[in-house]
Amino acid sequence: MQEARRAGYPITAFAAANGLGTDTGRVLEALRAGRSGLAPCPLEIPFETACGALPAELPPLPPSLREHESRLSRIALLVLEELSREISRAVGRWGRDRVAIVLGTSTGGILESERAFAEFLRAGRMPEWFDFERQHSLHALLPVLRTVSGADGPAYVVSTACSSSGKVFGSAARLLSAGLADAVLLGGVDTLCQTTLRGFASLKALSRTPCRPFSAGRDGISIGEGGAFALLESEGEGPVRLLGVGESCDAFHMSHPHPEGLGARLAMEAALAQAGLCGPEVDHVNAHGTGTPANDVVEARAIEAVVGGTVPVASTKGYTGHLLGAAGATEAVLAALSIVHGFVPESLGAEPVDPEVRIAVCRRAEPRRVRTVLSNSFAFGGNNAAVLLGAP
Amino acid sequence: MIELHLHGLGLFTPGFPDASAWARRAPAAPTAPRAEILPPALRRRATALACMVASTAAQAAAEAGADLARVPFVFGSTLGEISLTVAMLEEFWQGEGLPSPTRFHTSVHNGPAAYVSIATLNRGFSTALSAGAETPAAALVEAAALLSERGGEVLVALADEPPPSPFEKEPPFPPLALSFLLSADAQRPRRASLRALRRESAGPPRVPAPFAAHPAAGALALLQAVEEGAKGPVPLGPDGPRGWVAEILPGSRP
Repeated sequence: MQEARRAGYPITAFAAANGLGTDTGRVLEALRAGRSGLAPCPLEIPFETACGALPAELPPLPPSLREHESRLSRIALLVLEELSREISRAVGRWGRDRVAIVLGTSTGGILESERAFAEFLRAGRMPEWFDFERQHSLHALLPVLRTVSGADGPAYVVSTACSSSGKVFGSAARLLSAGLADAVLLGGVDTLCQTTLRGFASLKALSRTPCRPFSAGRDGISIGEGGAFALLESEGEGPVRLLGVGESCDAFHMSHPHPEGLGARLAMEAALAQAGLCGPEVDHVNAHGTGTPANDVVEARAIEAVVGGTVPVASTKGYTGHLLGAAGATEAVLAALSIVHGFVPESLGAEPVDPEVRIAVCRRAEPRRVRTVLSNSFAFGGNNAAVLLGAP
Repeated sequence: MIELHLHGLGLFTPGFPDASAWARRAPAAPTAPRAEILPPALRRRATALACMVASTAAQAAAEAGADLARVPFVFGSTLGEISLTVAMLEEFWQGEGLPSPTRFHTSVHNGPAAYVSIATLNRGFSTALSAGAETPAAALVEAAALLSERGGEVLVALADEPPPSPFEKEPPFPPLALSFLLSADAQRPRRASLRALRRESAGPPRVPAPFAAHPAAGALALLQAVEEGAKGPVPLGPDGPRGWVAEILPGSRP
């Protein structure tokens, strides 16, 4: 079991949709071109901010799943559609009961509760169309995913705010190594909603303009929406492998990172230790890089301590915005694209880089042989995940 | 699946401040949970849910002689900080339309687990899960996977409180939190062993009526079965053809 763990597990398929585009091909095209998906926020809110909204009308759920109708489930099904053939193959190969589902989300279908509550205030009662369990709850998507994928093994949601769908890689790998599943459909989904937009505004953490991670001019985050899914299997051939996942806590504060980035460092070191690699062997880091003044400097210190100051580092939040509970899986997909297509993306908005950020922030996209990528996700509560992907 | 061993239990529900009060079926006047592991500054800001979780985790760890600063933490809840979530929805329609910043960052699903991590300086593993009526089983699955991966111990905590108006659920249920300190170490004295977790048709969790609709009913059924020294299948929920069942054996220690 230790042997298998060190060599990692194949990621046999992956897909993402977000502000950059409604399928992985469009997302890749924008990433290579250095084109941001951030634009003025489409939701009605009492302040200005830039957001990464999905740039299309989303198809409704099939009639058999109508009770689960929500923007969240629409995004999930859009992404799963791209993987349907691979999922059918995996379910056929391993059997329904042996394919697990682990999903990350921060706020689930809260957008539907926000709409229902607005109607409640107007009409004095909750609307007929609303069902908390099937539309809002964190686990509302699980029956949808089971039905659509055919997977019927253990199914659960990890919800640790912004590290949620980084941590699903850890849960998935453990389910395989413990023999509790042979394949895992994993992913992350979150939608734009009033709660996170207004919440981050109340913390004075939102930028009015597209976020600029690692830049001297950064002034806060941009929020995005989207989903990403991947199929992790105990055996098989895939375009990338999951080499390790580090999970840690800061044990410091609910909303401020540890000043030396101690928890972040522990997560990255644990991911490397699982893979039997040392820091300088990492070819590229997809940073958490939210664009707030405090977080980026602390993360840069932690990255420098673990992989050194010369490994190219990019934050992709200048493209997609911060996808919160979907950030980990989305950025793992972007990291996988770097490996498969041999490039590192420009860290959009980073110029001029903050002199306190002493790591090699990618100033432009460049072709490069990328064998290993570390992808970071850090969350409220000091909850950290680092996902290490490698070439097959 | 590897065999799990249960070394400590914790419980809080109004009228029953700990697992031993529950075992004696001796209700007291309802009091707030004794979240003594939270330092005063943290406790002042902690929610009722976080206090219940901290209180039961401390009970389970104390019984097992475990150190909460080192134990990986698996928190399962279906509604999480639902009271804060609903309070924020109200705030969007008042004043500037912004929620209280503390309320916002405390409302995350991993909030109660984070309070325990911060209070005990635990920089190790901590997660927060939800799987609806399968939440107790999902938390045990994650714990089994963790113990299989790294050995040692795991603290599994489950907690939910009733959602406030206008999101009430029918039938209503009281606040309830439970904690289980588990290991894969067969040499240690134990309350019970959990030999298997499987899905089959097994009926609803066997719990007192007020808790029948509680999302953690399956965990309460497990705690009661352990206390009674039961042997055999324990339905963890949900009721139906694809429910979860834990197969338990009594341990060496009552």
